[in-house]
Amino acid sequence: MELVARKADLVRELQFFQQIVERKNTIPILANVLIEASGNELTLLATDLEVALRSRCEAAVDNPGSVTLPAKKLYEVVRALPDGDVKLESEKGGTAVKVSAERFESRMPTLPREDFPSLPESGGAAKSTIKGTVLREMVAKTQFAITGEDTRYYLNGALFVLRADSMTLVATDGHRLALVNAVRDPAVKGAEDVKAILPRKTLSELSRLMTEDIDVHYERGENHLFFEIGPRLLISRMIDGQFPAYEKVIPKANDKRIEFERDRLTSAVRRVAILSNERSRAVKFVIDKGKVEVTSSSPEFGEAREPLTVDFNGPPLTICFNAQYVQDFLSVVECDVVALELKDDVSQAVMKPVGVEGYDYTYVIMPMRV
Amino acid sequence: MDAFYASVEQRDNPTLRGKPVVVGGDPTQRGVVAAASYEARTFGVRSAIPMSRAVRLCPSLIIVRPDFDKYRAVSQQVFAIYREVTPLVEPLSLDEAYLDVTHNTWSEQLGVSVARRIKQAIKDTTNLTASAGVAPNKFLAKIASGWQKPDGLTVIAPERIEAFLQGLPVDALWGVGPKTAARLRAHRIEKLVDVRTRSLDQLREIVGSAAEWLRDLSLGIDDRAVDPNEQRKSAGSECTYEKDLTDISRIRAEIDEMARDAARWLDRRNIYARTVVIKVRYDDFITITRSQSDAKPTRDAAVIAARAGALLEKTEAGRRPIRLLGVSVQNLDESDSTRSRRTVRDDEPRLPLDF
Repeated sequence: MELVARKADLVRELQFFQQIVERKNTIPILANVLIEASGNELTLLATDLEVALRSRCEAAVDNPGSVTLPAKKLYEVVRALPDGDVKLESEKGGTAVKVSAERFESRMPTLPREDFPSLPESGGAAKSTIKGTVLREMVAKTQFAITGEDTRYYLNGALFVLRADSMTLVATDGHRLALVNAVRDPAVKGAEDVKAILPRKTLSELSRLMTEDIDVHYERGENHLFFEIGPRLLISRMIDGQFPAYEKVIPKANDKRIEFERDRLTSAVRRVAILSNERSRAVKFVIDKGKVEVTSSSPEFGEAREPLTVDFNGPPLTICFNAQYVQDFLSVVECDVVALELKDDVSQAVMKPVGVEGYDYTYVIMPMRV
Repeated sequence: MDAFYASVEQRDNPTLRGKPVVVGGDPTQRGVVAAASYEARTFGVRSAIPMSRAVRLCPSLIIVRPDFDKYRAVSQQVFAIYREVTPLVEPLSLDEAYLDVTHNTWSEQLGVSVARRIKQAIKDTTNLTASAGVAPNKFLAKIASGWQKPDGLTVIAPERIEAFLQGLPVDALWGVGPKTAARLRAHRIEKLVDVRTRSLDQLREIVGSAAEWLRDLSLGIDDRAVDPNEQRKSAGSECTYEKDLTDISRIRAEIDEMARDAARWLDRRNIYARTVVIKVRYDDFITITRSQSDAKPTRDAAVIAARAGALLEKTEAGRRPIRLLGVSVQNLDESDSTRSRRTVRDDEPRLPLDF
């Protein structure tokens, strides 16, 4: 293999692979990116066996072929080169690759191309088109609620539901649940309904890849999902399993509604939470006519409180939340006003952004015992 | 600091001075030696040996129960002196640290002058002695500091590095334990410099991934910076039992409790661990460890306890009497890129989802 590519192109593409390759690889080849050169482009491919990324960039190919190179070192070397042309050249009967530019020369050992895992091919089924910006928003608003680690493996991802007129992404760790419903543009064509659990890593790669306002072409294979994002293709394993019936925990009878200025509520919760119990992180919302007092106390740190003026006329009520759960929600919404909807101090509470268009965002939190 | 805990006790109690003193647990209850005075060391008493053995080695041994609050207070005084000299202080323990004195607030040109002044300041402030090693890198400084204890000061100037290395046995290295040393000796590598006679591939076969590190050290190369923010690498606890444990359900309960302790430690520091390690010492002192790593870091008490419990199944617990059990977590990690990654907690109310 012998080719010349522009440094800027290579760096741009290689950076997307840095999170894909295994950090602590038990299988050496998974630390490598497969580079294939033919025609007037090179394609790059890497995988950790959960997700895979394929990408390409322009290149002047003098000698077609393929090599595998350590993704991290290759990226660091290329990034350190001066702007201009970078030459990649197989050497020593294919066991090493020379990477050179101007007066710089380096050689890196390769691993056999045959060791590189073969990846599922999309079956050419009908593709659905999703607005990239919308999907990115949906990921940002649900991703944080995926459990850190759960033996219930089907919670280690978010449920993605695609219908002709809507799409839904929902994640839960069993204590809180984040749900986004977005309307689909009826003008873009849709394929059949899709329901799949996307692994956490897939979601973070998706948001990394959707840097521009581009449409995402989505296709479901037998065990994998294919996301075509501009020139790049993200292939994700599907989490096999039944996502819990989340609709049932979304309360319908929360008759008390309080609106807050988001900034004020955010600051109050952040400040008050500092003196909350370190383990439970509990903050109380002491609700009364015209005001909500956010309070915390812990035997070792002391106590804190901050009253917020609100428009509320119902009966007094005290409800207690994990401050982190409230902060997670507040930090992903951009609107000026948020609403808290309650029934009582033991039933699920709902938080929602107020006055946003294009999607419905529902965040359900299980209150703590007061 | 020299024989740190023991020296503090001798300082504070004149009747202990000049006598063999150890700080540690009860000899009838399987305590171990945490620190031994130099008088005790002449009998062969060292830290980490069982107290019962220490008493056999030195029947006149005086045993003092540890007072960690006191040692911590002295430690803070000593570290305050270090930090006056340079902000680049990397603690190794309560009584040991690396200092990068290339630039120091005293504007001393020579490392040895800084060391001399620090030793004097420690003596003036705490009335205790310390030993120092002055060298161009951490590895050499560490070895030099142990060269002339107590109250020692050893300097390894660049031109003397080679002569110094020539004299080192391979197990002088920090991180080369008895097992690794035995493996190296089996390959006729007795001295550190013998490492140079082997290729990296040969070394890898003997010591695995430590090969490159070992080779660098054999050449006196160590370019690790003194890192004032160096983080703990592991945490955990272990317990030697008064009576050997044979009841498997008791053993499981102990492991479970220690695993949950480790999880609480992670929780307090807001960090995660990838690896869970258990340690089992049978009644014949044979000690084994079993570990398991996972790609995803966790601090979930239930998960860590489950993993420790599964590791216990890989031992002969319940079939052989057990003297000591331990659980630790390693491969510590700040949260990953996902914001506010938190694990599920058992005691928090749950959404009424049907799982």
